[in-house]
Amino acid sequence: MNAPTRRVDAHDKVTGTVRYGADLTSPNLAHAVFAVSTVGKGRVVNIDTAAAEAVPGVLMVLTRVDASELGSPGFVMGGGYGFQSLQPLLDDRIAYRGQPIALVVADTLIAATEAANLVRADYEVEPIAVGLDAEAAETLVQQEAIPLPFLADIVMGDADAAFAESPVRIEATYDLPQQHQVPMELIGGVVGWRGETLVVHEGTQNAGALRGGLARQLGLDPARIEIISPYTGGGFGQKNSLQPHVGPLALAARRLGRPIKFVMPRTQTFHQASFRPASRHRVRLGADETGRLLAAVHEVDQQTSRHDLFPAIYTEITSRLYGIEHFRGRQRLIRTDVQTPGFMRAPFEHPAAFAFESAVDEVAYALGQDPVALRLANDADVDPVTGQPFSSRHLAECLRRGADMFGWAGRTPEPGSMRGADGTQVGWGVASGAYPASVAPAVARLSAAADGKVTVGVDGHEMGQGIRTAIVRLVSEDLSIAAEDVIVYVGDTRVAPQHLTAGSWGTATALQAVHAALRDLRKRLDVADSDPVDVEAAVAATGQAAVDVEATTVAPGQPPEIIEQSRAGLVAFAGPVYPGFTAFSFIAHFAEVRIEPTTRRIRVPRVVSVVDCGRVASPVTAVSQVRGAVVWGIGGALRERSEVDPRYGGFANATMEEYPIPVNADIGEVEVGFVDEPDPLLNPVGVKGLGEVSMVGVAAAIANAVFHATGRRHRRLPIRIEDVL
Amino acid sequence: MRPFSYTAPATVAEAVDVLAASGPGTKILAGGTTLYDLMKLDIEAPTAVVDVHRLTELAAIDTTGPGEFSFGAAARMADVADDPVLRRDFPALAESLAKAASQQLRNMATVGGNLLQRTRCGYFRGGPAFPCNKREPGSGCAAFGGLDRGHAIFGGSDTCVATYPGDWAVALRAFDAVVDVIGPRGERTVAIADLHVEPGDTPQREHTLAGDELIVRIRVPVTSAGRGSTYHKIRDRESYAFALVSVAAGVAFDDQGAVEDCRIALGGVATLPWRCPAAEMVLTGERLTEESALRAGEAAFAGARPGAHNVFKIELGVRTVADALRIAGERAVR
Repeated sequence: MNAPTRRVDAHDKVTGTVRYGADLTSPNLAHAVFAVSTVGKGRVVNIDTAAAEAVPGVLMVLTRVDASELGSPGFVMGGGYGFQSLQPLLDDRIAYRGQPIALVVADTLIAATEAANLVRADYEVEPIAVGLDAEAAETLVQQEAIPLPFLADIVMGDADAAFAESPVRIEATYDLPQQHQVPMELIGGVVGWRGETLVVHEGTQNAGALRGGLARQLGLDPARIEIISPYTGGGFGQKNSLQPHVGPLALAARRLGRPIKFVMPRTQTFHQASFRPASRHRVRLGADETGRLLAAVHEVDQQTSRHDLFPAIYTEITSRLYGIEHFRGRQRLIRTDVQTPGFMRAPFEHPAAFAFESAVDEVAYALGQDPVALRLANDADVDPVTGQPFSSRHLAECLRRGADMFGWAGRTPEPGSMRGADGTQVGWGVASGAYPASVAPAVARLSAAADGKVTVGVDGHEMGQGIRTAIVRLVSEDLSIAAEDVIVYVGDTRVAPQHLTAGSWGTATALQAVHAALRDLRKRLDVADSDPVDVEAAVAATGQAAVDVEATTVAPGQPPEIIEQSRAGLVAFAGPVYPGFTAFSFIAHFAEVRIEPTTRRIRVPRVVSVVDCGRVASPVTAVSQVRGAVVWGIGGALRERSEVDPRYGGFANATMEEYPIPVNADIGEVEVGFVDEPDPLLNPVGVKGLGEVSMVGVAAAIANAVFHATGRRHRRLPIRIEDVL
Repeated sequence: MRPFSYTAPATVAEAVDVLAASGPGTKILAGGTTLYDLMKLDIEAPTAVVDVHRLTELAAIDTTGPGEFSFGAAARMADVADDPVLRRDFPALAESLAKAASQQLRNMATVGGNLLQRTRCGYFRGGPAFPCNKREPGSGCAAFGGLDRGHAIFGGSDTCVATYPGDWAVALRAFDAVVDVIGPRGERTVAIADLHVEPGDTPQREHTLAGDELIVRIRVPVTSAGRGSTYHKIRDRESYAFALVSVAAGVAFDDQGAVEDCRIALGGVATLPWRCPAAEMVLTGERLTEESALRAGEAAFAGARPGAHNVFKIELGVRTVADALRIAGERAVR
């Protein structure tokens, strides 16, 4: 009843009160800039820093760090902390264009920038392979290269035989390009020392990994490291681990005895941080004449770097979107000369759903069936991979409700049959999506004070998704106290381990810990488990100034000691397969495209998306999450591609001007619906994940709509004007 | 960033004196939206910067006519784009400004400075990692055999196919604008057609102004083809993007309804603002129909020399010309 309906930090954000990492300043702040490699691969044979050092105000030019001072952070997906294992400045190897070769620190940003431009290097240049088809790229079968159970190929029945015997067969290859996250907040922050304690202010999704990784790299006691990241200005997976600039900054700050501010220039964020790797999907779908899907084969080739194996997990959802008896997945990794790619919103699920949901559309047309009806008829009753039930699955309801909201019944099925008066081709497309509902261990600390305020410190990072709002709502609803009386600390290693917030597990993870702590708090306050609480009176009755509780929660089936893995800054989440059930979020997207008759610009005047994310923890921020994801989907379908010149490597359109994220004028109406049924098994709060699933299937719905408009199937993203001329 | 001297003369006369005394590394600063950008990229490294952006005598906008409209070189793109008379009598000119850049950039950028905006070729802007004859004469051109989707299909040479990125100059080219410049040798008037030059063997040379000359104003003869005009810009997103193909088109009809005056200029496809006299001839004296407009488009794109990834600009361009002529025709007084 007291729960806020607005985003709790909206006012502070709009008025600039919120302080992001790089907003901090102090009188003795120094500024850092990296000089970077201008070749795509090779060795630095000579580096000349004389001109750089001569720039007035330059304090330090660091070209090499001894391994005894700074180790590798390890790869976040290989038991480490870094977005990649490669730590620049440790040796003379250049693995990719844009790799840092020198760190310049100066009194001013201007001096540091000027000096960085004056660092000159001579290289021994080696040939590069940067694309999936490059001759020198190396192909690895994932399950052989990384023999871990969750990365093994998913195989059910005999998909190849069942496909061969299927009366209706679709076989097609789909290509998706490299893309970059391009969060508004640039990577960076302020790194400094308070006595023997290293203090890092930086926007991140994973303060725990920054602490654990820096402890490993610098040989420090983690207790002597504080990561403070109350707000992140967009992460989208690019800020999900320790970036290689922080370690050198910590060393430089200690040598200089000054804190250092670093803000990575936009172009460098395309080269010094993760990105969505290129992937290619060969999909085979077999069906009978009634439209029952009999067999599916989904084979994926995904780009990775030479130095790390970024795993491919595309078939986790495609094996479960439908109740298909025979399924075979195969995932391969293609080693190329790039920085290690990584997680970009719906990292595997967006490409996988584009490929698979396009193929399902092709089946519907081959059979002359309605694409919504075909999907409904093939819905899964149980998890086809494990045979166990889903914790909740309302995909059919998403499809039905979405079709209703969209007016799907008014669609004429024939491609090219819907046209505007001026000859504009109109197309309506649908696609489903799913995303694993994972949960991570978390610690929540609650402090109820004599003034009636409740302070919450919990695992979680606020990167715009609205986790603070969700936490405030939970506490204020539970205790029936005003939203203003709930104070939230997230992204801060001083209050909780700060496990990675990603993969759409953030809200479920934080809320179940806060929920558990609320139960303890009520006991300690000696109040009933559900009635409104007069916090001020209840605290007074205890005779103490404040009542503090701490709760630790883990994912279903996880042992309690998993929290130690999180405390070490390592990834420790579980899901989507839990003892006794499997948990996914689901979504259905409906898109309308309009294609001009002459110059063939593709417009998306409206999208309807209906989500099953369990209970909606915060309606205002939830709608915003879905709208933002649909915008990403439109960008992914029609706009975004990180351009690569195979002769040079790196990324050619590495600026906001040239990398075509959508602008407001590209976006029409986005209508959002929620099933809003609490998940009964995953956690007591009933929430699953939302941020990622919201993007899964948008691109397929748009591509399917383009097919409906034109009769032409597009299997390569983005679909640009030259593709539809 | 390199050290440079900075001067902000208080008058045009003083600016002329400062420029006369300046060396070859001097750059004129107006809105700063391109110069600062290129300085940060270390592509421009002026030794002296002469700031004219506060010279109010250069900021006048005069659309009272009747013979011509005049725009001071330091008038802001946003202010000119919003001029109600210009929007009515010369929609192509107003639209070419409104569809350029972002509102924030248009608020700063000037109509004089915009004429000399430098190419967006990624190899030019990418710095010394890439060969570029424009940036480093004789070093080669990475666009050949590279990512040339955005590159020119008209006016290129063996040394350079970098696209002229502006919109405003394309519209001005269609309407025979002239540019008044002042320098130590006095004032002179340069036809917009003579302002930019093809790359040829000297792609580093982009225009015909001397280093000590300052653009004072731009003048455009008022014509009924201006009333029936549009700037039609096709790009990868609906705003804040450079043109894949853009067309400035204007038409005026005679008493019988035939095209009396036709103007067609292209942007996004050439190394400089590209006028299409042959396409204009196709329509002159003819009725404007879908068919004749397409023929004009085909004439406009005859002789295009595409690279590996920009062949589509020919088909897209033909259609864009035809659409632009239709829009212009609907606006023309009959």
